[in-house]
Amino acid sequence: MVTLNDYAPIVGPEVIGQLQRLAERLRERRFVHINSTRTGGGVAEILSRAVPLLNQMGLNTFWEVIQGDPTFFEVTKAFHNALQGHDVRLSPTQLRHYEEVNEENARKFLWEADYVLVHDPQPAWLIKVMRPRARHWIWRCHVDVSRPNLKVWKYLREIVSSYDASVFSMAQFAQNLPHPQYLIRPSIDPLSEKNRELTQEEIDRVLNRLGVERDRPIVLQVSRFDSFKDPVGVIQAFRMVRKHVPCKLILAGGEATDDPEGPRIFAEVMEAAAGEPDIQVLLLPPDAHHEVNALQRAADIIVQKSTREGFGLTVTEAMWKGKPVIGGAVGGIVLQIRDYHTGFLVHSPEGCAFRIRYLLHRPEMAQRMGRLAREFVRQHFLITRNIRDYLTLLTLAENPGRLTLEL
Amino acid sequence: MERAVPFDYDLPAKDPFWFRECFLMTMPLGRKAVNLRELLQALKEVDTEVLHYHLLQSRLAVTQPVVEYPNDFALWAATALQDVKLAEKLSSFDPLEYDDLEQVRQAMVDILEDYLWDLPSVPWARPGFEFHFCMASMVVIRSEIPATTLREFCHALGKVGLDSVYYHFFEARRRHGHRRVDDFSFWIENNFGLPELVQAIREIDLYFYTLKEVRDTLLQLILEHLGEICGYPE
Repeated sequence: MVTLNDYAPIVGPEVIGQLQRLAERLRERRFVHINSTRTGGGVAEILSRAVPLLNQMGLNTFWEVIQGDPTFFEVTKAFHNALQGHDVRLSPTQLRHYEEVNEENARKFLWEADYVLVHDPQPAWLIKVMRPRARHWIWRCHVDVSRPNLKVWKYLREIVSSYDASVFSMAQFAQNLPHPQYLIRPSIDPLSEKNRELTQEEIDRVLNRLGVERDRPIVLQVSRFDSFKDPVGVIQAFRMVRKHVPCKLILAGGEATDDPEGPRIFAEVMEAAAGEPDIQVLLLPPDAHHEVNALQRAADIIVQKSTREGFGLTVTEAMWKGKPVIGGAVGGIVLQIRDYHTGFLVHSPEGCAFRIRYLLHRPEMAQRMGRLAREFVRQHFLITRNIRDYLTLLTLAENPGRLTLEL
Repeated sequence: MERAVPFDYDLPAKDPFWFRECFLMTMPLGRKAVNLRELLQALKEVDTEVLHYHLLQSRLAVTQPVVEYPNDFALWAATALQDVKLAEKLSSFDPLEYDDLEQVRQAMVDILEDYLWDLPSVPWARPGFEFHFCMASMVVIRSEIPATTLREFCHALGKVGLDSVYYHFFEARRRHGHRRVDDFSFWIENNFGLPELVQAIREIDLYFYTLKEVRDTLLQLILEHLGEICGYPE
């Protein structure tokens, strides 16, 4: 089992010491995380490591996953799209179904807690029936809610307002809410199967198994097959690059169990890639962390051409592997990438194509960006920082409104 | 530099120095500015803690590895408004020259009003780069790292987190009520004298350093004034 001390060689022993000192003051507190999937997506990945680490530090932490039927997940996917700005219509029957599924889940939960962190809208309604079961309820929003659909947000806002605090990934996602709002950047786990160091042999084995040849520079986008990740735009950009420079494109996508739209988007991508032998589309299962790791390490340039993005952990993962990243200038990607330092921000398929060509022609610049990017992630986006923020958040939850809290 | 005074590095201090650690939680206001006029208006209205956050505290939040601009307003002018002239003006603005945050607010407002007066049109942020106002809550805990002698201080300074450097070097100026007095020089002055070292520390042009550079500079100054006692920087 991975322990906190295993992170010391990566982040430094002083960071580990700080976490232990912060956690000491929260010993024995009961801390519950609730989300809607145990696999697939950045939230599940971080929780699977953060929960055991918090337990090691003495907090009584557990992780609940709410269960739902396909109709429930269609409604919550519609919430997700609406929060990201899509025009979505939900009937009163659908909303009532969302509430009922939450209420059914609530009946199965027998715990009491000091702190509950509810991730995203799927389990948000739980507070309506479970409020007395925990002292502090905090809503953690991982979605880009900078321009939410008003109708859906009005419905969700009423629920979220019942919480004691909210946490967003970016300042621009903060809303007009009647409680303190905090910022916690997401993070990646450098010791997970998706991010740990790999030997060249391990990388080669994966490439062989997936049928990826390294005869030309590899441009890679790893993301769920979701319209906001703009995989079709990446194919357009690649076709522009291919007129000038030989290279290949790999689109590797995982499926998330809470995303009913995945198969449709995947079909659109296959159609756009048809007839182009230098494009490989890999549909990977949600637990293909080792494969994603190897692909990212094998790539020469990594693209994340999202048109909406909560934070963009695939960008963080790529940067941690020392790769230059070209990202859409949206959401958390803007925070992570600074032009000419840690990567490039782009606004169109043309911009993406131009920057791919630039980096293919300037490998020394690509290497320098990769080095800076890795250090940047080490400082700000590893799981140890995320845990520090959780501990700070819980400490502040007991003292709302205090700007400086001396312990 | 030659050692200025012979000094016993193991001389115990009257009061040990307890390094504090601080943990910053950024609190977004849910308010934004899409152009320079909106920035100016907001700066007149928001809590002064918002200015404190964007001018000083944000260096504890996410900072790029290469720092071109020393505060969030200058960086925004450069990257979002793409107005390098304004970025230059805001870069040279040093909040530590003022006695309190109300004065800082007035000085910022003056700069922006002067600048807007001469402009033919109001500069707008490119989409996705709006200025989002934040403030912060901070948890401060006493670490288990005390220093009784200068040798111990020096070793500890090399080991504590950069948040600690921020707390004792930047936040300290508010606590002491004096823009030039930080916790480190205050402790050295009160326990060991060493006026030349104290003065050198107080002359660090801290606004333009990253936290890591501040720490390296401090250690370098101690090395120059007192000789090789830290084993740092290596």
